[in-house]
Amino acid sequence: MRRFFLVVFIAAMLWCGAIWFGRSVLATTGIDAAGQCIGDANRDGAVTVDEVYGAINNALDDCSLMPITLQFSGNVGEQTFTCGSIYHGVGTTGADIVPSDFRFYVHNVRLIRDDGVEVSVLLDQDGIWQYQNVALLDFEDKTQPCNNCTKQMNATVRGKIAPGTYNGVRFTLGVPFRLNHADQSVAPPPLNLTGLFWSWQDGYKFIRIDTAFDNLRVHVGSTGCYYVRPNVIGGCAHPNRGEIYLPAFNPANDTIVADLAVLLSDSDINSNQPDTPPGCMADPNDSDCDPIMRNLGVDFANGLPAAGPQKFFRVVSPTPVP
Amino acid sequence: MRNSGNPPRSPFFKRGGRAAVLGVCLVATMATSLARADTPYVFNPPKGFPIPKVPDDNPITLEKIALGRFLFYDTRLSGNQTQSCSSCHQQDKGFTDGLPNAVGSTGQMHPRGAMSLTNVAYATVLGWANPLLTSLEKQTLVPMFGETPVELGLAGMEEELLNRMHNDARYERLFAEAFPNDSDAISLGNLVKAIASFDRTLISGNTPYDRYTQGLDDYAISDSAFNGGRLFFSERLECFHCHGGFAFTASVTSQGNPFDETSFTNNGLYNIDGKGGYPLNNTGLFAFTQVPSDMGAFKAPTLRNWKFTAPYMHDGSIADIEGVIDHYAAGGRTISTGPFAGDGSKNPFKSNFIRGFTLTDEERQDFLNFLLSLNDDELVHNPRHSNPFNAWRCPGDCGYDGEVTIDEILSAVGISDGAANLALCVAADRSGDGDVTIDELLAAVNSALNGCASPAAVAP
Repeated sequence: MRRFFLVVFIAAMLWCGAIWFGRSVLATTGIDAAGQCIGDANRDGAVTVDEVYGAINNALDDCSLMPITLQFSGNVGEQTFTCGSIYHGVGTTGADIVPSDFRFYVHNVRLIRDDGVEVSVLLDQDGIWQYQNVALLDFEDKTQPCNNCTKQMNATVRGKIAPGTYNGVRFTLGVPFRLNHADQSVAPPPLNLTGLFWSWQDGYKFIRIDTAFDNLRVHVGSTGCYYVRPNVIGGCAHPNRGEIYLPAFNPANDTIVADLAVLLSDSDINSNQPDTPPGCMADPNDSDCDPIMRNLGVDFANGLPAAGPQKFFRVVSPTPVP
Repeated sequence: MRNSGNPPRSPFFKRGGRAAVLGVCLVATMATSLARADTPYVFNPPKGFPIPKVPDDNPITLEKIALGRFLFYDTRLSGNQTQSCSSCHQQDKGFTDGLPNAVGSTGQMHPRGAMSLTNVAYATVLGWANPLLTSLEKQTLVPMFGETPVELGLAGMEEELLNRMHNDARYERLFAEAFPNDSDAISLGNLVKAIASFDRTLISGNTPYDRYTQGLDDYAISDSAFNGGRLFFSERLECFHCHGGFAFTASVTSQGNPFDETSFTNNGLYNIDGKGGYPLNNTGLFAFTQVPSDMGAFKAPTLRNWKFTAPYMHDGSIADIEGVIDHYAAGGRTISTGPFAGDGSKNPFKSNFIRGFTLTDEERQDFLNFLLSLNDDELVHNPRHSNPFNAWRCPGDCGYDGEVTIDEILSAVGISDGAANLALCVAADRSGDGDVTIDELLAAVNSALNGCASPAAVAP
């Protein structure tokens, strides 16, 4: 009952305020960045009293969303990745690798509710790993040989979501288009890490895998980008963002494993197409990219999400205690 | 104030009077507000040149230029502290490096040569073929953080880079002066803005050609060079299509020009497979657009100051200007053996302005004389563009004109008591500690009274 009075009181204050200051004052601030009426939940062009009540409830209650944490793990096969470790039997020739960087961006994280509806995870804006709807996963700690990296690590995506039962997850690998081409020199974390700048393509490395010794690298970002107006990128010939769908995922217990051994499983670690960068830098001329991009869920020919499934990510459930 | 012979010395400067003078200045300047404004830079381009465009979010100031000049020459701007921007953009070589292919701080070779920075303020796109680098601010990030190839090798080292700046009192002061509204002025964004501001001052237009065409000197170029110019601007040689306008390159813009034109041209250097192929690591515009007909298209660089910038072409594959003339006379290059063999003149994507031509010996000499008239010795000797870590021969000579005036001494006094920006007279801070001490003031006074060291007396 107390809450009801509070809601009514605030609504009354808003109403009085609107009359007092005049409609023109409100009109100047009533449209959001997408050009929609603020508070118009059902997008019908009008804000009803019910919608105002809903908004006030959300202001009081933080939208009634529940906190959620998605656990990731950086692996090479069954082993957890650590800087400086050697991993055996990688690629078509069963080579040894010593990875020296292991980071990637994800965005547009959604969970699949038991009724099949995709519900967005609203990321906590932590000022470090998560900005707007993009998050950086980082499995290296700057110990040898991960020299170009950061001490800090991050293996989770944290946010809020509407209450419900969820049993699947979707996300996009990479930095979203509108953030990928903003001014890097003044970008906020986690978009301010120069090791992930891909300035020559006016964007970011969506995923960065380096290896020590054999110099194999996987640096994938959007390529073939073009301006439509001065300083406004209109699009990219090869967006190179994989769409990841993991249908059986229990966010409470399961871990999303990103596996370098699987990523490189169809590549010959010890060979490289002549006159191309070592490994794959998303160059359309570099045939070394073909199997790697496919495993990231990207069609190498056009840079769009591949028809076949990605392999890089898989879900691991905890072993039941007997 | 030039002193010749033994001029009568004013009591104003006699020993014992100095402290009093400084005291007066101190009191006078303390009356001014401690919050100093930055100082807008007014472009004063050569006659016939427009004013460069400057990004809205990086208005150009004297403070940014002074800071950017230090950064440009500072080896702390490479990962292993062996290289700076100036390693590949050397003033005495027209801000190139004299190499066919640039070499980065870790020894890795770049597929392309360092480009001249002559008049880079007017460029609509930076680099040889990258349509995305439309500002110097964006471009600066590429050599700093690029890894394929490694140039300055700073990827992942942004924190250390900024720490290096913080550990230098002069940078603390210069950054704060250049970005007075920022609580922490030492940031990557500001560093990039300062370097870009310095780059924009590298304007060069004091050539015999300019003096002639601007009516400043009717005899600045010879009759032979004049005749060579007629060839250059003729439909017979077609040079001017790509190397035209005041900048002698097509991809330029300026204030008041609504069109930021860019053009990339295939000039028939290669034709590896008979289908227009270029070496895989140098496919030009194609590497960015992935459009087949963009294969081998590169930006036509400025011809100004070519005398300092050999070897030529994006990959340095033509050693001298005679070779360049031969290349265009043949309408493309034929490579008979090796992995790059092919008849470049038959490259299907070649510009149709490159048709080949023949010149008589006299015409060729005229043409060469015209090209020679496009060189500007002032750019390569201007002390304002020089390495500020090498102490200027003239302590306290803020304006780098070889003499110290009373105004310059007053500037130095203002800097020493915090009332004026160090950026306005970095030549007064001989020790590089970000301040002007009494000793440094006395050195400036000494310069004013006794003249500066002659250019020959100090190491270059």
